[in-house]
Amino acid sequence: MSAPGDRTAARALAGFLGFGLVATAVLAQQQPPAADRLQVFEAEVRPLLSEHCWRCHGRQVQKSGLRLDHGSFLRAGGTRGPALEAGDPAHSLLLRAVHYQDVDLQMPPRSRLAPAQVAVLERWIADGAFWPDEPVPAAAAPAPGFDFEQRRRHWAWQALCDPPSPPVRDATWVRDPLDAFVLAGLEAAELAPAPPASPAGLLRRVCFDLVGLPPAPALVTAFSADPSEQRYRAIVDDLLASPRFGERWARHWLDLVRYAETLGHEYDFEVPNAWRYRDYVIRALAADVPYDQFVREHLAGDLLPVPRRDPVTGANESVQGTAFWWFVEQTHSPVDVVQAQADRVANQIDVLGKTFLGLTVACARCHDHKFDAITTVDYYALYGIVAGARYAQQPLQPCDLQGEGYRAVLLLQRRLATAVATAAAAADSADPRWRQLALLPPERWDERLGSAAVPALRPGDTLIADAGDAAGWQLSDDGFGSAPWRGPVADDLPAQLQWRLLPGPWWHSGVAGTHRHGLLTTRSFVLDRPFVHVRVAGSGARATLVVEGFQLVRDPIYGGLHRSIGGGDARWVTYEVGRWQGRSAYLQFVDQDTADLADEAEDDRHDRGWVAAQQVLSSAVREPPPATTAVLPPLPFAAAALPAAVQQALTELAAAAARLPLSPTVPALAEGNGSDGHVFVRGNPQLPGELAPRRFLQALAGARAPAIAGGSGRRELADALLAADNPLPARVQVNRILHHLLGRGIVRTVDNFGALGERPTHKALLDRLATDFVRSGWSQKQMIRRVVLSSTYRMQSLAAAAARERDPRNDLFSRQSLRRLEGEAIRDALLALSGRLDQATFGPSVPVPLAESCNARGRPAQSGPLDGAGRRSIYLAVRRNFLPAFLLAFDTPAPFATVGARNSSNVPAQALALWNDPFVRQQCQRWAERELASGPATRAQRIGAMFTAAFAHPPTPQQQEQCERFVDDAAQSHGGDGSDLRAWTELAQVLVNQKEFIFLP
Amino acid sequence: MTPAPLPDRSPITRRQCLLRCANGFGMLALQGLLADQVRAATRAGGDPRPRYRPRARSVIFLYMDGGPSQVDTFDPKPLLTREHGRPFGARMEPTQFDNNGNTLGSPWAFHQHGDSGLWVSELFPHVARNADRLCVVRSMVSEFSEHTNANYFLHTGSGLQGRPSMGAWIGYGLGSEARDLPAYVVLNGGLIPPGGVDNFHSGFLPAHTQGSIFRMQGQAVANLGTAATPDAATARQRTLLRQLDAEALQQQDGADAIAAAIANYELAFAMQAAVPELLDLGSEGTLLQHLYGIDHDYEHTRTFARQCLLARRLVERGVRFVQLTCPDTGHDRWDQHGNLKRGHDDNCRMVDQPIGALLQDLQARGLLDDTLVVWAGEFGRTPFAQGKNGRDHNPFGFSIWLAGGGVRGGMTYGATDDYGYKAVQDKVTIHDLHATILHLLGLDHQRLTYRFGGRDLRLTDVYGEVVRGILA
Repeated sequence: MSAPGDRTAARALAGFLGFGLVATAVLAQQQPPAADRLQVFEAEVRPLLSEHCWRCHGRQVQKSGLRLDHGSFLRAGGTRGPALEAGDPAHSLLLRAVHYQDVDLQMPPRSRLAPAQVAVLERWIADGAFWPDEPVPAAAAPAPGFDFEQRRRHWAWQALCDPPSPPVRDATWVRDPLDAFVLAGLEAAELAPAPPASPAGLLRRVCFDLVGLPPAPALVTAFSADPSEQRYRAIVDDLLASPRFGERWARHWLDLVRYAETLGHEYDFEVPNAWRYRDYVIRALAADVPYDQFVREHLAGDLLPVPRRDPVTGANESVQGTAFWWFVEQTHSPVDVVQAQADRVANQIDVLGKTFLGLTVACARCHDHKFDAITTVDYYALYGIVAGARYAQQPLQPCDLQGEGYRAVLLLQRRLATAVATAAAAADSADPRWRQLALLPPERWDERLGSAAVPALRPGDTLIADAGDAAGWQLSDDGFGSAPWRGPVADDLPAQLQWRLLPGPWWHSGVAGTHRHGLLTTRSFVLDRPFVHVRVAGSGARATLVVEGFQLVRDPIYGGLHRSIGGGDARWVTYEVGRWQGRSAYLQFVDQDTADLADEAEDDRHDRGWVAAQQVLSSAVREPPPATTAVLPPLPFAAAALPAAVQQALTELAAAAARLPLSPTVPALAEGNGSDGHVFVRGNPQLPGELAPRRFLQALAGARAPAIAGGSGRRELADALLAADNPLPARVQVNRILHHLLGRGIVRTVDNFGALGERPTHKALLDRLATDFVRSGWSQKQMIRRVVLSSTYRMQSLAAAAARERDPRNDLFSRQSLRRLEGEAIRDALLALSGRLDQATFGPSVPVPLAESCNARGRPAQSGPLDGAGRRSIYLAVRRNFLPAFLLAFDTPAPFATVGARNSSNVPAQALALWNDPFVRQQCQRWAERELASGPATRAQRIGAMFTAAFAHPPTPQQQEQCERFVDDAAQSHGGDGSDLRAWTELAQVLVNQKEFIFLP
Repeated sequence: MTPAPLPDRSPITRRQCLLRCANGFGMLALQGLLADQVRAATRAGGDPRPRYRPRARSVIFLYMDGGPSQVDTFDPKPLLTREHGRPFGARMEPTQFDNNGNTLGSPWAFHQHGDSGLWVSELFPHVARNADRLCVVRSMVSEFSEHTNANYFLHTGSGLQGRPSMGAWIGYGLGSEARDLPAYVVLNGGLIPPGGVDNFHSGFLPAHTQGSIFRMQGQAVANLGTAATPDAATARQRTLLRQLDAEALQQQDGADAIAAAIANYELAFAMQAAVPELLDLGSEGTLLQHLYGIDHDYEHTRTFARQCLLARRLVERGVRFVQLTCPDTGHDRWDQHGNLKRGHDDNCRMVDQPIGALLQDLQARGLLDDTLVVWAGEFGRTPFAQGKNGRDHNPFGFSIWLAGGGVRGGMTYGATDDYGYKAVQDKVTIHDLHATILHLLGLDHQRLTYRFGGRDLRLTDVYGEVVRGILA
């Protein structure tokens, strides 16, 4: 972040001068007599200010902190600085505003003043901005203040307490302390809890709640026969252990982090490998990773000293948590790159606050929070942390740069060089220099060849980064090794000898082969010169100047920030950066010639190139400095006929490099050098205010910023957020678990525990559960288990008359909630009925079927299969601009903000979808086919089986009779017999449209 | 066998229905919707109902995707012609393509029309015949130079993705007067604007408020089916469904949510019957069809003519908000970064006659008084060239027009500078436009709120003033 104010002013000034408006105004330097000045002021100036300015800049209101009803106020100015410089209209903001040339500052806001009125102000300022000697008007009553301490008393900020279970009269109902708290409330209201749900109803409920699928008919039969406590507990344990559990609960989490695989906006560019994050969440929930660890991985998973690893593959799990930062929408070619970053970070902070804290932190972006103990400084303290992190595709299985395998490759590169020089020196026709080189270690060859010196700086050059000094660089993966390389490199392994010597030290991604991912960045620096020169070499690679974190580098506007790097030899690349003066930027070197972040080939393992970087200069000079290129003496043998020793060294090198692990990558965070930012006054990045040192929220961690050891400060953020005295993460997550299992949280506004959120209906219970949650080692599975085993969970949803009357909103948990299934559960249930459900786990997303007419920009090349290949809904592609219509109809949220509690609407589009959607019709026919092929023999049994599959209970006699008659009539009218497929398909369609199918009573 | 319960006999109360079922398809009268629904749904933000009489019942939004040029349509600037080809005489703001050329005079002549003498360029001969019905706002400003942000801003009042569209807000506030049609219909001529269908979404509002997209090709409405009357098999299925649902409802003691879901099926079936009738233009006279241009020799005019005629039929049936998106003339919408002449010629050929006919037709039927017609793009274009013969995006000053529904005809409001570049008099923001549209519908933009993520959110955020100067 940087301070653009002066430049803006200068630009505006240039604008005026261009118009020649100022010239007349600064003529009269000698001032007219006082009486004349008073008369002019009272006749022309004061009325003008009064009529056009004082409504917003007067006694009552002071927009931008500016008051214009006394000369001292004008000189003191507002948030943008003094309103005028007496005698100097050209440097007076007031004049700039009324001239209306600067679109960022036009006053009065609706209409430009008449030219004569502008001239009055211009002359008045030129004449010294006379204001009569009159008392300074009293300040208006200060606006009601931001009383931090008073706001801090709101219940949610208070520490967790650990209350004992309250006494109850009917102790037999209490299976868990949870029940005691609920029952105590009911007893106090003289209400009885609702009776338990039927075994069939309970089974269906717990299956959908835990795994998102209906119970298999066999399980229904078994549980109906033996609905014992023991049996129920066994079923619950089976469900929690099922791979389907992680898939079900991961979807809840994805709603919070607005999971998406594209960036939205005009072209809906991709977030490559985003799906790995979805799989990471599924695995983490299935493995019951402690919730605090899970949160820590989201905030700083790339920085953990000992990352959590997948027990089977050894892949780094922790780093994958940071992918959620990049599900922020992004547009290409924003005209204002700073505003684009401010919008991006605002969304990231919004998601951070709501997801992990249940707080609307982002409301403090433009002003102190209207209701909560969150200041603008709090917001920008977090802004500095968030904006300081960078985008990177991070390897899941980086190779150990201290390990034997990697060190062997480096050694073999040296050996190859020595072998080449030795063989060349021995050849009759060899250049005599080979004999000298053969005696030198390869890292000193460039000295011998007279080209060791790195380019020398000239006046006007500032060194940003140099391979000789680690301070200028930020490594984010293993592709560049741990130190710059000096000496020749065979860079096209395992092909034939492709050999090059770049003079001096270089960060080089090709030293250990070109197949692994390589990303190198420089430290951030301010663009304060018109040119940036970059000393670079590579093949099939790119170098990109990233301005204010803007990564979607494309034409128009930004295309010039991307440079393809090819040819292999060292060269200078020059960026003209006049447009971005004052902006913060860094260089990014990637060993693939892709366009930008949206264009990383998925798990590409073969066509990576290599890239090497040596120096980055910020410069006033258009031409880069002269530089030498090391030229190796010609080899006395052809590449196709290598001497045996050289061939052997090459083969060994290639083999060793090929043994290094290849790693898939995930969109993740990487560290930048980090710096504190400024408050943006009223949220406007053009108006930097006070410095906001990076820290966590004052209301939770105190005002003092802890020392940040280096980098962005995310490690410190994770520590502060998960500190034992922060009650919010545990409360918020426990509340969400209740929301998913009981139809509402104890705090109904699950994403907002602030003053505008609803109050907890059972505060003591919430604290008790949150305390237990932490005590259990933050185990979500244990919490879910105890809730579904409770009596509270097992109640039926039908309300007795007394409860309906005295507890209409179910504030007391006098009954379960009647819930509509989510779109995903409905779709998955249809697949389960039809037998099409493919229980495969993980992997790239399945494309969504798209109508021909869905022709918006960014339409994916591939339209998916109608049935999504039978995969569960969580594996369907989440492309922001092409979301699955069936799921949207059932309130699957569009991914733009945290949604902890989905809408549950009830609309005709849902009826139309279930009745007519070709996917539903297809599954109904499959279901009928399946029942006809393998189901029981009689019509009655078949109807019974279909009821059990769809609703987890057999039909009533009346339903049985109605369905039998329907099948008979339908078969007859189709001219078929008792196993007429059309008739049974039609029955299947009716059953999935029966309302019970999409509700959990 | 018990008879099938029909929605009006099923055990749900009118209030429950308003609260829980498809208020977008309100079966009940407008007054009822105003009385119950808004109050119930916006408990946090107070009652958005006006203290003033609604002037408009419906809105037809003619959305000119890509950004038509103000200085070539409704904002004549002789200075541009005089300085044509010379370096631009005022300060240039950063542009989307950063390829700014010299001052570019309009290739089209302007003439005055009607009793009001309103200036309209020769691009719009048919619209110009309605000059005395038009209220041209020449001082529109937006905040974004990029299509997607500007589209979201125009449609939802926010430059970012995910907010409810103004049609959704209006449907949320007023419901639909149509028995069997949604409150917000998008007649999709072929182009989905940058930013996608999110421009028409309900955002955090209930799903029923989102725009229902009617396509002009193929099946008009997704999953609607084609038959106006069900075949025997479907009828049989509906009978069984009603029987099974009745029993399920009984088992759940008449639970509201299930009752509402049952009612939705009846509405869905009603819509299945209504839409084919709606789309059948055969009942319109051939002369009227000819007036709209349904037999025009330019394919895209024919499509847009059908859209305009359907728009009239929709507002006749009580749909609140009808949006038209443009067919694809092959010039990348109104976004003429190059070849301004050809692009605007074709785009105007496509929309001019149908829009002229729409205004006349609405007037003739007495519908124009309570139908607000809005013609607008997401921004305007630069008065200087992009390259040789194009114009880049310009959010700093551009023209839109409104007609009918309580606005004054035959007037211009506001002004740009002498180049037609930046608004300098009576600037109107997108928030102001939204506030004014809501006002004309009888909704107070400061009171139409919905609580989401801890805030009472509005279409106009914390901004917007009704533009009183254009009210009739």
